[in-house]
Amino acid sequence: MIVLGIDTSGYINAVGISDGVNVLADASFPARTDSLEQIVDNIDSVLKKANLALKDVAGIGVGLGPGSWTGIKVGVTVGKMLAFSANKPVAGIPTLDALAYGVRDKSPLVCAVIGAGIRDTIYAAFYRFANDLPVKEGDYFTGDAKDIAPLVKEPVTLVGSDANHYYELLTNEDKSLNTKIKALEATPSGAAVACLAAMRLKQGKADDTLSLMPLYLKESTAKVFVNKYSAKA
Amino acid sequence: MLILGIETSCDETSAALVADGKTILSSAIATQMDLLKKYGGVVPEVAARRHTELIGYVIQEALDTGCKTLADVEAVAVTSRQGLIGCLMVGVAAAKSISYARQIPLIGLHHIEGHIFANRLSNPDLPIPHIALTVSGGHNMLVHVQENCRYEIMGATLDDAAGEAFDKVAKFLGLDFPGGPVIDKLSKQGNRKAFSFPRPMIKSKTLDFSFSGLKTAVINMFKAQIAAGEALPLADIAASFQEAIVDVLVAKTLRAVEDKDLNVVSVTGGVSANTRLREVFTETCKKKGIQVFFPKMSLCTDNAAMIAAAGYARMMLGERSDLRLNVFPNAPLGG
Repeated sequence: MIVLGIDTSGYINAVGISDGVNVLADASFPARTDSLEQIVDNIDSVLKKANLALKDVAGIGVGLGPGSWTGIKVGVTVGKMLAFSANKPVAGIPTLDALAYGVRDKSPLVCAVIGAGIRDTIYAAFYRFANDLPVKEGDYFTGDAKDIAPLVKEPVTLVGSDANHYYELLTNEDKSLNTKIKALEATPSGAAVACLAAMRLKQGKADDTLSLMPLYLKESTAKVFVNKYSAKA
Repeated sequence: MLILGIETSCDETSAALVADGKTILSSAIATQMDLLKKYGGVVPEVAARRHTELIGYVIQEALDTGCKTLADVEAVAVTSRQGLIGCLMVGVAAAKSISYARQIPLIGLHHIEGHIFANRLSNPDLPIPHIALTVSGGHNMLVHVQENCRYEIMGATLDDAAGEAFDKVAKFLGLDFPGGPVIDKLSKQGNRKAFSFPRPMIKSKTLDFSFSGLKTAVINMFKAQIAAGEALPLADIAASFQEAIVDVLVAKTLRAVEDKDLNVVSVTGGVSANTRLREVFTETCKKKGIQVFFPKMSLCTDNAAMIAAAGYARMMLGERSDLRLNVFPNAPLGG
């Protein structure tokens, strides 16, 4: 089952192709603020390089975030509307799962991190592996990077696009962590999204196409404000 | 040619099927009225998330009610210019995905051009050239509409659009959102001459508008009445305020018609649904021998049928967008 995977949650457009075991293609394109402009072109170029057309793929995997609010809106809309238009099943993959999956052979415990936009706030989650698949431990973390220091009890691989920076912050917070944490810089991979999606789709666990939504770990500022205000009233 | 139109520039998620730029097969619109009432207006990020949630359903609805499938659709037209950036992005992301997956042409359009076409959809005999007054909560322009989708902007608001002034005054008077229809309804019970509000820029040489001072005048008068402990004739305030806006819109539009030596006016956009505006335009134009056209009520506010109609006209001129189509939140009409 050949699956196309995309992730636009960060400052790159990641596009990959996988059959659930092998990686057929994995590319990333710098996108900063123009993921919308490039994403369909990027998908087309990766498919063409693999001598495939959209009709040849059996399903679509899409990174749900967390990440850039604009990026995940664009990625999820493209993912579900491609699936809808080409009549293919779609599987939404949390981007932190895809990041963790990429380092499954590095250590039994992985902490995947993604910058949350404001200073050193992050989205993060801890993962252990079962049959090479990442299984999330506990809830998603949203907050200041240094606040995950007390959560680190055993050796862990910290993976993400600013992993080295967060490593510095954490070891400054608690010197003893420098022997426990290993940092690994990595961006979300389209092939990892495709691979995880292929495994899900093979089990018949597609998502409902039209209702697919990004993974928002933070409410918009307006909603936070209004909720606070109405709670007081 | 069957075109799927998509419009998400502000707070309405909409999709429509239009055949040959004239016949509306379906027009699905999901409003965000619940969110508007909760937040007292449009919050860009909240609106954009709602578009992401609804876009697929709205397109499905347009196909279902038009008794068509995507295989019948020959092109996709989408609003890519002028609007809230995050909102525009959702529509464009959907449109280019459909265009790529179905291998059908794509065209990105300016939102205001859509409104100009809303009136052409409603009135197939609307002559060109003409003067279009586009008036809503987000825009307020006088446009010289010429053949082949060419436009000359003759005037625009320098601050608030008329619809925005309606919303803000309504909010201040403690009325519901959106303010336009509420003030329109309330005004029917009020005296239009009870208060003499300013008619901003009605005598200025330009065709530009300014409604922010009028809004302040209404608010100041309202505050003064409260301070004096006088009764608040809300219907009179609403009617007098509405009359001031209508007077300015009509006077400036007629001036634009004279400037271009034309005799056709097209009033379009959300505020073109205002009954008093329609009444005054109709009376005044009749006296002067000018033809005036309004869109059907369903085509006054944002909708995707008007985008599909504009897309058809542009495609007939040989225009297409490529898959790198991006959004331009502040692009001028024609740009």
